[in-house]
Amino acid sequence: MKTKTRKKKYEKRAAYIFVIPAVLLLFAFLILPGISTIRYAFTDYNIMRPDDINFIGLQNFINLFQDKDFLKSIWNTFHFTIFVVPFQCLLALGLALLVSSRRRGVSIFRAAYFSPMVTSMVVVAILWSVLYNPNPNNGLINAFIVKLGLEPIGFLSNPKTAMNSIVFMSAWQAAGYQMMIFLAGLQGIPEEQYEAGAIDGAGSIRRFIYITLPGLKNVIKYVIMITMIQAMKIFTQPYVMTKGGPQNATRTLVYYIYEQGFQSRNFGYACAVATIFFVIVISMSLVLKKIIKAD
Amino acid sequence: MKKKLVCMVLAATVITTALASCGKKNSENDGTSADGATKVTIWSPTDEPAVEEWWVEKISEFNEENKGEIEISREAIVRADSYAYEDKINAALTSNDLPDILYVDGPNIANYAANDVIAPIDDYFTEEDLADFVDSIKVQGTYEDKLYALGATESSVALYYNKDMTDAANIEMPTKLEDALTWSEYADIAAKLTTDTVVGTNIIMDQGEGLPYVLEQFWISNHTDFVSEDGKVAEGYVNGEQGIEAATFLNDLIQNGYANVNPIQKEFHNGNAATMLGGSWEVATLQNEYPDFNWGVTYFPVADNDGENTSPTGDWAACLTSSSKNSEAAGKVLNFLMNKDNVASYAKAIAKLPTRVSTYDSLPEYNEYPLSLFKEQSMNTGSPRPRTPSYTVLSPGFSKAMMNIFTGADIKTELDQVAADYEDDYSKNYSK
Repeated sequence: MKTKTRKKKYEKRAAYIFVIPAVLLLFAFLILPGISTIRYAFTDYNIMRPDDINFIGLQNFINLFQDKDFLKSIWNTFHFTIFVVPFQCLLALGLALLVSSRRRGVSIFRAAYFSPMVTSMVVVAILWSVLYNPNPNNGLINAFIVKLGLEPIGFLSNPKTAMNSIVFMSAWQAAGYQMMIFLAGLQGIPEEQYEAGAIDGAGSIRRFIYITLPGLKNVIKYVIMITMIQAMKIFTQPYVMTKGGPQNATRTLVYYIYEQGFQSRNFGYACAVATIFFVIVISMSLVLKKIIKAD
Repeated sequence: MKKKLVCMVLAATVITTALASCGKKNSENDGTSADGATKVTIWSPTDEPAVEEWWVEKISEFNEENKGEIEISREAIVRADSYAYEDKINAALTSNDLPDILYVDGPNIANYAANDVIAPIDDYFTEEDLADFVDSIKVQGTYEDKLYALGATESSVALYYNKDMTDAANIEMPTKLEDALTWSEYADIAAKLTTDTVVGTNIIMDQGEGLPYVLEQFWISNHTDFVSEDGKVAEGYVNGEQGIEAATFLNDLIQNGYANVNPIQKEFHNGNAATMLGGSWEVATLQNEYPDFNWGVTYFPVADNDGENTSPTGDWAACLTSSSKNSEAAGKVLNFLMNKDNVASYAKAIAKLPTRVSTYDSLPEYNEYPLSLFKEQSMNTGSPRPRTPSYTVLSPGFSKAMMNIFTGADIKTELDQVAADYEDDYSKNYSK
């Protein structure tokens, strides 16, 4: 009995020691910068003048809510998230269903659909800006459109289409990852249920609605949640493809933080935007978590 | 017991490696190398292979000569086609990690000087030495009567044209400065040369500094500028009547389909654009990498009705940072980098105009077309970008406004915004 408690004690101590490095690193690279960000949000910190930082109270936040560019960037971020999440999840589910069968050669398709995910977003974004090029002599997609006898589309240079073009390429790039998660979920559904369904005369659509979807319920919730949080953080695509333009159509919250902090050098102001962004993402995750736990 | 030991050892290794890597960084920062030599660090943009080779060669030459005393190490920083290099400087400012010698793009010098990021360098050069440098590079490097930066090269931009295409259309390009194309002639030529597969011209060097660098000339040629001479006022300049004329002219080139908003890389070189407003450095690229390409180059276009002859100038230059602990040694390195031989060989490697007058003797190619044209522009019509500390707001603001205009936004509204943002930054940070 005594040795058992002793052993437990040792294990506990060892556990703490194992956790220390992670805690130290998290503290240094996540918590400390987080605290600094919130602190700087109440100052007029200009990057060029680190010796001259003054506390200005809520001024940054007051300015923010009168700042059209900021409000537009919130809107853009939600626009992206609201469009990309269902599109990307449906695409991923569709792909997962396609490659879940045990036919020969299907693993090639699995790898193919997953491959954009292992390519750096910067590379993908550059490739797609070439594909999207408005000049049909340079842009592949417009070359097709012109061949069909239609007018070329300025995908990234028209404020009406720019964000949706980014939504499409982002979903294309990241769907492979969600596909893998769905695939794992699909394989967790017992084969017997499908057999029983088939015997009872259910067609493939009904089997999908009554067996596959309920079986994937938890996976779907999880996928939606991570896709949503990922989507809120969108930065690379506008940075590489559009620089937030045209006419601010693709300037997202994180891009606005970068622009204010590094281009306009208003670090204090950028920190205020970051603080609000933090609050938005945290409350979103809490709400989502509640919804998931509800069942 | 054994398990516990293993755990402890593992944990200890993790912690010591973590601490060791922190420790390493400290010893790198104290400014001396293993053999006791003073370390001088340099940041400059990543460049073409010829330039990178130049750096390697010169650094080892200097380190060999000054063994045990000074040791140079250079970090090449990616510039991309945007403001990535400036972002890196800004990030280093927050953590006090700037090098001793910092290469910065010409128009940013005033900003760094006004904010005490860089220190005056007058003391490290003799008067005789300085007299050999062309005025434009000294003017660019001067802020409030002190010299803060010197560069080995100057730049210029002119109108390149695809000779096969102009010949086929019977277009004769001017060969004398006084005959430089006017805007309407330029637009006519662009219109004539535009076909289903080729655009008439290319006016977008990149979507960052390239826009104000090249396009400011359209303002200057039309007898105005981005901001007033003293840098205090932008209202009525960038968005004044003549400014709007300039922006309208440029926008028409895009809207009429004579130029692309998002040109692909090397659009002109590959025959997808008939003409291009391109930098002097393209001469080397075209000669070396496109030997069969039949091209020519002519002067920067001027505004109709007596427009001013003008061309862009300004280039990257080296500064000493105020935070440098080894400014004495860094000054010596700066002197070495800017000596006659090195300016000549650097200019040759990077294919730009050298800034020391005496180096032209050793570079005969500048007396012959096409490089002579750039030399002529640089000496006679060069206009530096505004030397104002708020240039760092002006430049991205202008780039963004032009891209917005090219994609359909209202010209006046966009330029008004540029003027307002500029004056806002200037009055908040620099008006005394």
